[in-house]
Amino acid sequence: MANFNTHFTVAASASAVVSGTLLSMEVVTPEQGVMAFFIGTLGGLLPDVDSAHSTSIKVGFNVLSLLLTIMMIFVKSSTYSIVEMFIMAALVFTLIRYGFLELFRKISKHRGMFHSVPVALIWGVVVAILMHFFFGLNSLVSWVYGFMTTFGYLVHLTLDETYSVDLGNRRVKKSLGTALKFYRLKTNADKIQTVIIYASLVGLLTIAPDTDLIVNALFSQEAWLNFKDVLLPYDEKWFLH
Amino acid sequence: MNKILRTITGLVATTLFIGCVPAPKPQVGTTLGIPVGSNNSSVEYGARPSNYVSSIQSYFSSKISRANEAKYKFSQPKRAYKRKGLAYGGEIDWKGWLVETSVATTSRSGRLLTPKPYMVLFTGNQVVEHILGNSHKLITKIDK
Repeated sequence: MANFNTHFTVAASASAVVSGTLLSMEVVTPEQGVMAFFIGTLGGLLPDVDSAHSTSIKVGFNVLSLLLTIMMIFVKSSTYSIVEMFIMAALVFTLIRYGFLELFRKISKHRGMFHSVPVALIWGVVVAILMHFFFGLNSLVSWVYGFMTTFGYLVHLTLDETYSVDLGNRRVKKSLGTALKFYRLKTNADKIQTVIIYASLVGLLTIAPDTDLIVNALFSQEAWLNFKDVLLPYDEKWFLH
Repeated sequence: MNKILRTITGLVATTLFIGCVPAPKPQVGTTLGIPVGSNNSSVEYGARPSNYVSSIQSYFSSKISRANEAKYKFSQPKRAYKRKGLAYGGEIDWKGWLVETSVATTSRSGRLLTPKPYMVLFTGNQVVEHILGNSHKLITKIDK
């Protein structure tokens, strides 16, 4: 299994390549490209949030606490006084950063269904929904951020699987197949968990933003042509444009 | 490790804070709640934009790449309203006229691209914002 530094470096590098490509294809603006990079990198740290004492869980809960605290401040800024906002912000932050973290540590199991492809997809859809409804972003940008989350997540899972193969000793470790999986059906609890995850994914997709723009921007024939346009100098004049 | 953790948390906090600060919007009425039916008077939505074609072309000339080669199509203006994102309270922050616009531009190699749909929001004759796409969950079109 790769450590935190490896996951961070690989996720950041892969996200830089993808967000740079999206910027070059004019799918996102430079500001959105930077945000896409950060979101992809965070997506690459998300899977280890289920590991009770990992660095990822600390980063993940710091980010979640900050996000919810900032959102609470925005929502209440027109009615609360500054002192009320400080008190509420401190309460919300402490509750999530310490209260929920302890609860999450007790109920989560490392390398359970949290390390799976459908959960990677769920995170992407959740991010797209949040960006669209909470921050009012258009459907394309919302889905780009969702796509980057899932992409970073899948990079993490792929890296974990890669580390399951010991090329030096020519053997595979016991962890092979526990990261990049679609389901887990060992126990009844696993079966219920798998059903809940797929049902949640379907439910979330029903309220998700329109997909027309992202499909056209990333998964259409035109998207492929756009990619080819920016891959190499279209006028064959290297560095002399 | 702690240094990396602190750096990441700091970067994320800054990004979130910058990303979440609402852009200043023109104050267009302060009515809260959903407008009742489609019998709203023109006073509520302001005057219908008259020169919307030239206003939109002029507006997009500085917003999109290779705007001078762009090909436009426009719908008739329709009354609409827009809510703020839930993170900012969710109340109505714009009421006015919306023009559905399709803009076809060229790629950097000169290839004509599939037209992109936009919703251009007007207050009177003034463009206040454009939103990529034909629809948005926070926008309600009154006229179909």
